[in-house]
Amino acid sequence: MSQFVQPNSVAATAIVVALCLTAPGHVLAQSSTRQPDAKRGAVIAAQGTAQVPACAQCHAFSGASDSSGTFPRIAGQSAYYLAKQMHDYTSSARANPIMSPISKALSADEIADVSAYYASVDSQFPPLATADAAIVEKGKQLARVGDAARAVQGCNNCHGPDGAGATPAIPYLAGQYAQYISSQLQMWKRGFRNTSPESMAPIAKQLDDQQIAAIAAYYQQVRGQQEVPDATDASAAKR
Amino acid sequence: MAERLKPVDVVTVGVGLTGAIMGKELAAAGLKVVGLERGPARDTVPDFQSPTIHDELRFAVRKALMQDNVKETVTVRNSVDQTALPMRRWIGFLPGTGLGGAAVHWNGQTYRFQPSDFIYRTHLEQRYGKSFIDPELTVRDWGVTYDELEPHYDRFEYLCGTSGKAGNIKGQIRPGGNPFEGFRSREYPTPPMKEPYYGALFRKGAESLGYHPFPQPASTLSQPYTNPEGLTLQQCVFCGFCERFACEHFAKASPQTIVLPVALKNPNYELRTNCQVLRVNLDSTGKKATGVTYVDAGGREFEQPADIVLITAYALNNVRLLLNSGIGRQYDPRTGEGAVGRNYAYQTVSGVSVFYDSDVNINPFMASGSSGTVIDDFSGDNFDHGPHGFIGGAYVGAIMTNGRPIEFHPTPPGTPAWGLGWKQAVARHYNHTVALTVHGSSHPSRGNYLDLDPTYKDAWGLPLLRMTFEFPDNDIRMSSYVTEKTVEIGRIMGGRIVAGAPRKKPYTTTVYQTTHNTGGAIMGDDPTTSVVNRYLQCWDASNVFVVGASAFAHNASYNPTDTVGALTYWALDAIKNKYLKSPGPLVQT
Amino acid sequence: MLPVGLASDEAPAHELQHVAAVPIAPAATRSGAPAQPVTYLFLNSEEAAFIEAAVARLIPADEQWPGAREAGVPNYIDKQLGGAWGAGERLYRGGPWQKGTPSQGYQLPFTPAELFRTAIAAINGELRAATPFADMRSDEQDAYLRSLEAGGKDLGGVASNVFFATLWECTVEGFFSDPVYGGNRDMVAWRMIGFPGAYASYYEVVDRHGIKIDRAPTSLAEDVHGHVHVHPAIPARLP
Repeated sequence: MSQFVQPNSVAATAIVVALCLTAPGHVLAQSSTRQPDAKRGAVIAAQGTAQVPACAQCHAFSGASDSSGTFPRIAGQSAYYLAKQMHDYTSSARANPIMSPISKALSADEIADVSAYYASVDSQFPPLATADAAIVEKGKQLARVGDAARAVQGCNNCHGPDGAGATPAIPYLAGQYAQYISSQLQMWKRGFRNTSPESMAPIAKQLDDQQIAAIAAYYQQVRGQQEVPDATDASAAKR
Repeated sequence: MAERLKPVDVVTVGVGLTGAIMGKELAAAGLKVVGLERGPARDTVPDFQSPTIHDELRFAVRKALMQDNVKETVTVRNSVDQTALPMRRWIGFLPGTGLGGAAVHWNGQTYRFQPSDFIYRTHLEQRYGKSFIDPELTVRDWGVTYDELEPHYDRFEYLCGTSGKAGNIKGQIRPGGNPFEGFRSREYPTPPMKEPYYGALFRKGAESLGYHPFPQPASTLSQPYTNPEGLTLQQCVFCGFCERFACEHFAKASPQTIVLPVALKNPNYELRTNCQVLRVNLDSTGKKATGVTYVDAGGREFEQPADIVLITAYALNNVRLLLNSGIGRQYDPRTGEGAVGRNYAYQTVSGVSVFYDSDVNINPFMASGSSGTVIDDFSGDNFDHGPHGFIGGAYVGAIMTNGRPIEFHPTPPGTPAWGLGWKQAVARHYNHTVALTVHGSSHPSRGNYLDLDPTYKDAWGLPLLRMTFEFPDNDIRMSSYVTEKTVEIGRIMGGRIVAGAPRKKPYTTTVYQTTHNTGGAIMGDDPTTSVVNRYLQCWDASNVFVVGASAFAHNASYNPTDTVGALTYWALDAIKNKYLKSPGPLVQT
Repeated sequence: MLPVGLASDEAPAHELQHVAAVPIAPAATRSGAPAQPVTYLFLNSEEAAFIEAAVARLIPADEQWPGAREAGVPNYIDKQLGGAWGAGERLYRGGPWQKGTPSQGYQLPFTPAELFRTAIAAINGELRAATPFADMRSDEQDAYLRSLEAGGKDLGGVASNVFFATLWECTVEGFFSDPVYGGNRDMVAWRMIGFPGAYASYYEVVDRHGIKIDRAPTSLAEDVHGHVHVHPAIPARLP
């Protein structure tokens, strides 16, 4: 049932209360909002810091990474999501032999900056092998409709129109490398990735290897504009 | 001429929540069951898919999943000296249709009634004396107790995977739950939903006033869950398209997600959709049903003989079918005699809006149908009514379910109804307003009842159901009291403006106020003043059971579905373990 | 200008083509494109002139945000009236028709299309001798709308307050519905209030109390490139 919020339309006993009671500011936790600095992020991406190698070494300065798909494409990815991943590496919620020490050696401000930078760039797609049309079609069905027999909903429900993403929290899949998508789904399936334990893990566990490969093949070949980069999301700095 | 089909053991009129559960269980018990659903077949795939399902205009405003008024509606009036007129479009309440019924597009709010609700008159008279209850009200004891229903509440909640926090386990009060609730035998099947901002603000305000906030019990699930039928539900993502929409995530308990697939796999169970049942047929004695007559999508008429007829068509349709079948004696408000149609009740709801500064982002669009925070301190008989002169109460909470802008665009009092001032107020307040709900009991009264309309007909030529209803003064007084208490909570919550409006007469069909229509085929121990006995078995035809909220002797402060589910399992238990062994009346009078 | 009384379905669509009035404040679009001309399929040019002028007063534009006219609400209304809803979809149309109490709601025999046609013909007929609505000053238009709203005027069998209420509801619908229906152009109304639209998965952020969600809203009809494919005639029933 819906809520009742039209006091205009009923004989309202309106009580105007000018309260100087504190607005619930303490739950907002967005006190001194330092705006992320994408320019400084670009420098970190290109050169690294005294403690960490340049992001560009694996992810390319353009964020397109490379065609091996070992390193995810991060160009135009949600800044909030990128920052969250790095904070997860820092806290060990997520574990990776390359990313974990890098994230741990970056400050929260540096994470915010480099996330803002990569969120703001777009880049070409490297030439990639074309996957089998039948497999791509199967992936498209899973992306749009899911698998009823396994009670798995279509990926696009959360990940946006054909995987365009839904900032702040949900990353794009459109154009993400098949190798990376399938490796992450396998990690969840096998219990090695512990983030999103109630969404991605049960979904991945319901999928078989062929379905994972199909979903990955489908999204790799989707070409769309990434979401308008959300470099102004100050909350990315607050994880 | 109707074609007579092969007889079956059981026919259910309607395959919504009650029909699906009954059908699955009796088929599993070895009976041949036919489920007749007047609406179309539909399932999560392909019918409930996002993004097309996230269309406010189509589903919330045009009501695409509801019954189609072109074919059938209800006529309504406030009192017998008015002429009832058809609800030409659904606004005030929204009956469902189609496979799965309204449980496809409910909010999943899953509350038990209280122990005192089932012995309502006895309880109230004991506490307040025999002359406390307004004589206009026809409240009574139900004929079944909470203790008898408790295992069936439990079973239904575990079927759904309901998410919540128990407040009372076997008499032990547990922190974090509802300290006023009747005892539960165990914890909820899944933990409570995450609490959105509006709930947290309400919680803080309610606690500071000494009330006892708890998470709203939700059949939109907080985590993946496999129910005892072996069906798996997923975690709700708080999409804000819950009531009036079907769930694409398999995260809302509906017949499709919790029981139907099992029924459909059983060769004993046959589903026939787009079949409108016209009447239950009786034998020459008039005391036994022989089956039902229905019309299929092509207009062909069939007679389906059956040993047992389960009327599981939704409260209002249940009553109409009894009347159109000539089962039972029509209640007459002037004489107070008769049973069918009496004790119709509804829900007494009101709201309070709390308007915040523009730096407070409420984000109402992040919500499930049941992700609220509520208090039970003012429900039912949880407070002393002595000084107040009314019975009943309301639960209160921040139970926002959506931010869908066609219908949700709150503005403070004094805002113009349209124009630039309206638009600017909408932009200012949309994301900075918390809506509180006061969800109150509805007591039956002599003048509120259901019967057949003398003038208006459905597409099959049968009389429509006529509803005569006005809020009793008792319920208006209750609404005024609890709404004022809610305004106090709103003030403490830190808003700049707090605006509340209690429910007022007349009852109008032009404002949505829940689809909680109850009564009309009520349970009781006296065949002259009730339609079914405590097992939901029809007094007038012992092989007919009438299952649904039509059995409620009154409507408590809470949403009906959990109690409907419990009564379904309770009646099922009686059918399987008593009736099938020895067909005939289960209660002697 | 078509002769009075000629129903729109008696004239070919191209004779009814009516270019929407130039918006006061061009709609802010994703691509920066100006408002498109509208082909009216139901409204004749007199009706369209009234509707355009009326909705422009009901939800006016201001410096910050466009109003109903710029957002395409006249187009929305035209397509709804010309479609299944206008023809009486989901409306109980059995007689007899009796006046009823306010609690009993709408009790006229008119379908929405008939209601609009009848009422607007009466309005335009009344005003033709004086000043057509579209030619009035805006304060005069507001006064006229208020007089309709107050009731007491019979518009060919339609109580003026019933017409006004229906017109207002349609205006709100056209402003706030998904752009697939032809209104809420470029989701300008959703941007104004901060409603993110049809793709809606908030599990990760629902407990980030107070977070600002400022991504561009998404329509149910948009593809991965952000193009919204308009289909105004979606029926209100499940297929």
